[in-house]
Amino acid sequence: MDEVPKPAVAGGSLVRPCTKCRAQEATLDSRSHAVCRDCFAKFISTKCIKQIAILGKEARAPGRPPAASNSTSASPRRYLLGLSLGVSSSVLLHLLNENVEFQLAKGRNAPFELTVVHVDVSSSLVPTSTSISTAPAAVTLEKYRQRYPRFGFQCVPLGAVFGLRTVDWSTLPGVQNTTPASPLQDQHQQQGQKLRQLFDGLASAAARTDVLRLLVRHVLVAAARDGGCQALLLGHSTTALAELTLAEAAKGRGFALPWLINDGPLPVVEYEYHGSGTAAAAGNSDSPAATATSMLVYHPLRDALRKELVTYATLTSPPLTALISDAPDAPVATSLSGGNAAVVSHKDLSIEEVMVRYFAEVEANYASVVANVARTTGKLVRLDNDGAGTGEEGARCGLCGMPLDEQGDERWRGELGEAKDDQSLSSSSGRICYGCERSTRG
Amino acid sequence: MAPTLCAMCKTQRALIKRPKNHAKLCKACFITIFEDEVHHTITSSNLFFPGEKVAIGASGGKDSTVLASVLKTLNERHGYGLDLVLLSIDEGIKGYRDDSLETVKRNALQYEMPLKIVGYDELYGWTMDQVVETIGKKGNCTYCGVFRRQALDRGAKMLGIKHVVTGHNADDVAETVLMNLLRGDLSRLSRSTSIVTGDSRSEVKRSKPLKYSYEKEIVLYAHHKKLDYFSTECIYSPEAFRGSARSLIKQLERVRPSAILDIVRSGEDMSRLVPGESSSPCDGCKTTPAAYAPVVEDDVGGCGSQNGRTPGGEMAAMDKQLRENEAYEGLEIDVASTMARNKATQNEKPKDLPIRNGGSKAATRQVLGNCKRCGYMSSQDICQACTLLEGLNKNRPQIQI
Repeated sequence: MDEVPKPAVAGGSLVRPCTKCRAQEATLDSRSHAVCRDCFAKFISTKCIKQIAILGKEARAPGRPPAASNSTSASPRRYLLGLSLGVSSSVLLHLLNENVEFQLAKGRNAPFELTVVHVDVSSSLVPTSTSISTAPAAVTLEKYRQRYPRFGFQCVPLGAVFGLRTVDWSTLPGVQNTTPASPLQDQHQQQGQKLRQLFDGLASAAARTDVLRLLVRHVLVAAARDGGCQALLLGHSTTALAELTLAEAAKGRGFALPWLINDGPLPVVEYEYHGSGTAAAAGNSDSPAATATSMLVYHPLRDALRKELVTYATLTSPPLTALISDAPDAPVATSLSGGNAAVVSHKDLSIEEVMVRYFAEVEANYASVVANVARTTGKLVRLDNDGAGTGEEGARCGLCGMPLDEQGDERWRGELGEAKDDQSLSSSSGRICYGCERSTRG
Repeated sequence: MAPTLCAMCKTQRALIKRPKNHAKLCKACFITIFEDEVHHTITSSNLFFPGEKVAIGASGGKDSTVLASVLKTLNERHGYGLDLVLLSIDEGIKGYRDDSLETVKRNALQYEMPLKIVGYDELYGWTMDQVVETIGKKGNCTYCGVFRRQALDRGAKMLGIKHVVTGHNADDVAETVLMNLLRGDLSRLSRSTSIVTGDSRSEVKRSKPLKYSYEKEIVLYAHHKKLDYFSTECIYSPEAFRGSARSLIKQLERVRPSAILDIVRSGEDMSRLVPGESSSPCDGCKTTPAAYAPVVEDDVGGCGSQNGRTPGGEMAAMDKQLRENEAYEGLEIDVASTMARNKATQNEKPKDLPIRNGGSKAATRQVLGNCKRCGYMSSQDICQACTLLEGLNKNRPQIQI
């Protein structure tokens, strides 16, 4: 697109000099500028580092709980990276590693400590006799560990979610009698079976994918808390955030969007179980410790497009593509629907998949439109008890953990006259938001 | 195998799978529940008052025909006491409106409602065919859309009616929500979902009683009630963003039927999250603030047909504009760029922001006023219609008088 008008000073002999450095041949197109590999890589890493710097300040801000050990000012920040083994999170891992190496090379301290966690979905869901350590995800993760020895790696089976108190289990059909501490006998298999039961009980691929995403998020947040981390880093690109915006809007979670899209502290609620399995939010009035916790959630790649990250993954040496290629990218809906059907019908598609397809097209032609979606959504206000909002005192959805929208619920019931049989269900179990209700109760 | 029985009456054979939730119903029960739901919407939002004179914006298409039929039915069944009038706009497109206006005329007889047809020539001195003759086929949808929006209001005013109802359905509203998210237009997002538009400033209020009705159910209703409607598409082209959003909605609906209503719900909730929009419910009255929003000129997209498939110039133009903005951003000094995340990144228009939430977020907001020429609500001194007219009239050949 961008014709280079005059030959550059240094690059007189170049056919198409890079518009940034003018010293190398431009081989790539970056937002309608012809650039060389080095400048492209630098462009991406600058976008990431900028966000990391913002997080660095936030993690040190007064009022933030310090990292695990009692801190002196020299104690490092500690973050947790959620690694899906896909392109974006792998690129983020690489960039974070680069950043640490750069600082160390300058004789400074490492700017942060990093733990990398992969939530293994498939080994929990596919009934196999393989142990956790030989599961495909664990094998792949081992390659990452070898490449980035500086960081600690963990592979957590999704089934671990059943041990968490951050979910009100009474909200999910089929997992009523869950107590946090399960008996010993092969916990992994038992949890896997429970997961399958849970997912079998959900009505559609769209619902399964939605609930899965929520559970993975719970596991990551819990791992970050357990590891004494101040922040959870996620690899979402601009494109992924745009997809998330429209997907969550399409699932009826418009109210929660400012919490989902923006960076910042995300409240974490814990539920106390009274034996029988019904949960009540802890911290009724006098024990704020349970509800007051929060976790910083950041998306350092929020300013890079997915296609740019795909390109970036080919530029590192050795290319990240070698690591990524054998990682299944979207195993979710297909593995959950039970069959390995070659023909994908609409029933087996999730809302997320529709969005991915849609934005792949938009990104190819109108990249700035994609960027604008996430940027605009970021301007929406978080309405909550701790903000300027007027809502109820911190009532939160027992499944996704987002604030409940009392006002919206009331109006919706009023204007729509929802079917009566919905009420009988919701009275017996914990409270969930409109979006989660759609996924769990059809 | 025994035939499936209707899930509601349990006596008749189920013939209809409701597009909205896949419930299996018989014909009579479907028609009943469709009407009941519209009735519920009307009563819970206090749309009408007894004795009110209401104009139904009638195009002869399925939406407005169903609206007219349902309103007549409900008005009689529940004693709304409404004085219903059909109001049609004749854009002056040969071959497009001729037939649909005939449909509206038949509807007027069938429903025993008075009909008023107002022509663009009457309102603006131009028919659409004349506009196209002057400016060509490209870009004329802007004219048509802008003129149409005001046409209903102007027509209602001529009849001395203060309330116009339109046939916008749930699909249309959901489409507008997604479209405004794609366009990054928060202020429009906050208005697009409200059931009533227009405020004390405007002489005519607008509402959409079919806001929660699925397009597919409207088609089914029209089919089973054997309503007489006209289906055609405008022969001129549609808007890109709307077309793009529309195809997305259709895909989502296939994956999860409730998606359309879910988007409407999201849109309603998000309207309360837009910085600068009021978020506290008004005490005493049943209507929440979001349910009553000012209408600004282009609340509802360009053209009645609204099913574009070609993502065309509009998206490309916005993409270009955004890229240019980004280029300028690059020239800013570093301090500014670190702050940029918290600020409105686009060129900042004058804004009247009640600062909320520590004032860290900002979004541009339009200031409402009235057009100096025609008095219609506008964020500018002169409303879009008058501006466009001025351009047209300048170029009008002198022979035509």
